[in-house]
Amino acid sequence: MAKTLFEWDYSDYPGAKRYPHLFKPIEIGNLLVPNRIKYAATEENLNGLDGFITDSGVAYMRERAKGVVGGLCFMQGVYMDEARKGQGYVGQAAAWDDKFIPGLKRIADAIHEQRAVAGFQLMDCGRVGAVEVESGHGPSTVPQRLRIFKPMYEMTNAEVREMVQQHVDAARRGADAGFDVMEISGIVGYLISNFISSYTNRRTDEYGGDIRGRMQAVVEVIQGVKAVCPPDMPVGIRLCLEELLDDVRGNTPEESIETYKIAEEAGADYISCTLGWQESIYPVISRDIPMGNWVHLAKRAKEHVNIPIQMAYRLFKPGLPEEKIGLEELDIWEICRSMIADPLMPKKVLEGREEEIRHCVACNLCLARLFRDAPMTCYINPVCAHEANPEFADPAPAEEQKEVMIVGAGPAGLECAYIAAQRGHEVHVYDKRDVIGGTLNEARNAPYGDDELWTCIEYQEVMCKKAGVEFHLGTEVTDELIEDEMPDTIVLATGPVYSKIEGADSAKVVSLADVMSGKAEVGEKVVVWGNRKPGIGCALHLAKQGKKVTLVGKDKTAGFDVNPSFKWRYMIYMRQNGITAYSDCDIAEVSDDGIVVKTYDGYQWPIKCDTIVLTQREPNENLKKTVQSEGIEMFVIGDALIPRNLSSAVHDGYRIGIRI
Amino acid sequence: MPVDAEKEIAKLWRAMHSAQNEIGKTYYRWRQVAVECAGDGVKPLDVALRAAEVFGKDIGKSLLPRMNWLKGEEGFMMILGKALAGLWITDGGSATLAKGENPGEIFIKCTRDPWPSWAKEFGVPMEEVALSRERMYQAILEDVSVFMNIPLKIEMQKAIARGQGETVMRLYKAE
Repeated sequence: MAKTLFEWDYSDYPGAKRYPHLFKPIEIGNLLVPNRIKYAATEENLNGLDGFITDSGVAYMRERAKGVVGGLCFMQGVYMDEARKGQGYVGQAAAWDDKFIPGLKRIADAIHEQRAVAGFQLMDCGRVGAVEVESGHGPSTVPQRLRIFKPMYEMTNAEVREMVQQHVDAARRGADAGFDVMEISGIVGYLISNFISSYTNRRTDEYGGDIRGRMQAVVEVIQGVKAVCPPDMPVGIRLCLEELLDDVRGNTPEESIETYKIAEEAGADYISCTLGWQESIYPVISRDIPMGNWVHLAKRAKEHVNIPIQMAYRLFKPGLPEEKIGLEELDIWEICRSMIADPLMPKKVLEGREEEIRHCVACNLCLARLFRDAPMTCYINPVCAHEANPEFADPAPAEEQKEVMIVGAGPAGLECAYIAAQRGHEVHVYDKRDVIGGTLNEARNAPYGDDELWTCIEYQEVMCKKAGVEFHLGTEVTDELIEDEMPDTIVLATGPVYSKIEGADSAKVVSLADVMSGKAEVGEKVVVWGNRKPGIGCALHLAKQGKKVTLVGKDKTAGFDVNPSFKWRYMIYMRQNGITAYSDCDIAEVSDDGIVVKTYDGYQWPIKCDTIVLTQREPNENLKKTVQSEGIEMFVIGDALIPRNLSSAVHDGYRIGIRI
Repeated sequence: MPVDAEKEIAKLWRAMHSAQNEIGKTYYRWRQVAVECAGDGVKPLDVALRAAEVFGKDIGKSLLPRMNWLKGEEGFMMILGKALAGLWITDGGSATLAKGENPGEIFIKCTRDPWPSWAKEFGVPMEEVALSRERMYQAILEDVSVFMNIPLKIEMQKAIARGQGETVMRLYKAE
């Protein structure tokens, strides 16, 4: 009889009726888990530089534990060697000594307080490790493809055996700390995956050779960890079913399937199905990849093994995992990015509050931060990584109720509006448009997944309505309106103004909004002026229509405001769509048949075009003087303050919403 | 005022050649410093070859993100050959590729090379110019070979610096 940790009865919840497969129990090894939901281990760089657990790390996990409503909740993977070769992130938790057990226990306890199943993950980062030391380790010495990673050297046989023992010792510490499930990480270029891959394992001893040989160290880890864990503690492993390393002669799909079979034979109680390495040339989880693109891999895995298969990877909404679990093509829905964006996501699904979910926009800012030694943050969720600070994460009601006028119903204004209203203020949102969403109304039309950005507005609209925000759409705020209303506080979230260029009165100059909404007549040869995200989105939008597009901008490189984990996608798409980009340039002149580009060092050349799109933005100074002269408390947020990106708009809105 | 495209191109072209000229000469200025600092007991050729190794090793690392086996061995060798020829072009040379008779065999031919001229200004022996180029390319291939798990070799068969009219390098997979 499988062990039950906490009793959960979902029968009265609307979500359990709508998604019956997500909320039915499953046996994993000798443990009965009440639902099919797992918060998968995710690095967040919130722990101490010495590997000890911090209050921030505990608070972050507590929120995610609330979210899984009794399901599996995994803390970030721990590194296990004192030499720190296996440490891949500056804030990664450690488990190389018993002294770390009390801190780890705080995490297990926080998860148990929410009546969820606590998962512990063993993660030697191998090829992408050694973040704090000079060099890392691996099965063979293979030069790094990406310079961001440290050089790594081949482990001796003794070092391989020591590594296996480190996994065993760390697993025992995890069990002692009170965790319920043990997981070995073998993904994305970490040490276990390095042993498995033909790309990184060129050994000819018992730890190399064919796929069985390359799995030998993994088998020893699984068996060693199983031996040290209590019998009712399942031991699982995360393994790549597609390495996406064909370009460097990585494993074949057949070899990867073989790894699943060998892991099962070795005693693994479940497998988390993953794909891609950090050095793969293919994207995996960014929003240019369609939702559900990879879930067929779970089906392939289930055709070859008999243990439960778990999977994440662009499964952001409950419908698809529900369907796949029902078809027995998947057993457990893993969630990473979606619960960074909204830690309570599955809880809201269960409670029938799906419209209140703040969806991940798959920008990968969270990853970009980690690789730059910064604490995790979320593009769309301002509270992420601030869970330990209640004044920020759970702001108190306002001491004095104010009448707040918010000018602009874009993402900055809406975020500010519902937060301020939740705190007790009377909030009125004005917009001269007759719809909410601001510039996102047009930005959402850019290709490669930008329609997903609109989920931010959908969420904010619901939250505004729930909080009692009053909307005045189709109403332009003028000096007279301000004088009539005389609110206590005005928040200017009016969006940017677009920079004019000499000759802007020409018929061929059109606005970004008109182009992206299809109102402007656009010729066949187009110059897009401004090389930040709006310009790139516009250029791709037009290139997709078959236009010849040239992107010209003042920033040193195109996409200065796009985080590096997504920017490389845009660079590839621009190349694929034949877009020519001139950065660090100005427009010297607009002529009858085109423009003259001028480089920072004075060179000039003509570009023929029949249309010029203005996307270069400036702060919006409108209304500021009036508000100041009336002595009204004023805040300026979003692009009106400084033109940046959606994330800055949302974060600005939140920060002012909790201050008013 | 309309831009004079011919004038602008001429300016850019001159600037590019000027930059290449300065880069080449700067190498030989630094070589002189390194030889002086190394002292009388060290042969200038050894200093030059060590420099070629350092350059090659670093350039090799920068090539790794572009290495790609998706089109098989022949495609890979062409990608690599193009990268090596491109490097020479950046250095001021005129380099082209030609497939060899054997599978995976590529010849890189350079018919114009400013490096011997720069070397001459600094009194550097021509043989050192040829050997340095060869050593740099060999060093580039070290990491590429290990990274792709394929033994790559490159050898210089003719050299402008040796008065042979063109430089020819044979890139191939060692058996």
